[in-house]
Amino acid sequence: SEQFRRLPQNLQPLQTAGLRRFSNASVQEKPGGSTPSEDNKIHLTESCVKRLSEIMAKGEYLRIHVEGGGCSGFQYKFSVDRNKNEDDRVFEDGGVGIVVDQDSLEFVKGATVDFSQELIRSTFQVLKNPQADHGCSCGSSFSVKL
Amino acid sequence: VNKRKILPTRAALTLTPSAVSKIRLLLQGKPEYIGLKVGVRTRGCNGLTYTLEYTKEKEKSDEEVLQEGVRVFIEKKAQLTLLGTEMDFVESKLSSEFVFNNPNIKGTCGCGESFNI
Repeated sequence: SEQFRRLPQNLQPLQTAGLRRFSNASVQEKPGGSTPSEDNKIHLTESCVKRLSEIMAKGEYLRIHVEGGGCSGFQYKFSVDRNKNEDDRVFEDGGVGIVVDQDSLEFVKGATVDFSQELIRSTFQVLKNPQADHGCSCGSSFSVKL
Repeated sequence: VNKRKILPTRAALTLTPSAVSKIRLLLQGKPEYIGLKVGVRTRGCNGLTYTLEYTKEKEKSDEEVLQEGVRVFIEKKAQLTLLGTEMDFVESKLSSEFVFNNPNIKGTCGCGESFNI
């Protein structure tokens, strides 16, 4: 509540909540991009679909795996997988698929997977993860909202 | 009394063959750019991070590295930080990136993007 008092008085309650949620400097997404936490899906951006359709052979999936590690507690791991296990969820879009095991999904549900292309690096990234509190600037590591 | 040793001057930055060919590829068909510019910026959990951009002209304070026909410029602020660094380009199916193997750094972040000196 002390944090509330320090905020300007004229803010609407909704905006205040948003500000508090994104008040960390190293937060991984811009405010306004949050989705309801009921969302159990993984979303794919256009560039992610495009890139996956370029690199993946038939029957290959992009696997997202969350494990402990990185400077913020958890980190995302990407790999190419041909096998689907019993506890995997598959998210398909535009003919390409992402598989996430049930345990990892708890940490990434509602998030968006993007393929970011910059001069210095091109890589897959998890964006707008409603489960993540704040992360490392590189976006590969994050801490979980409690 | 020791005689003063003469040390060969080292290039501030060396490029690996894969970095050279990638930079060449990037600059192909972009005659308005003369090379790439490497800099450092305060960001990330470990203090500093590298930046890379196209450059149209050499600024006075930039250090120029010319290797096998490709030119890379080092921002003044980054010159001490980068001294002796090897710039590599690593490509895999899922990602591709320029990697800086910097002998001056003390620690990095898990993702390798951020470092301190």
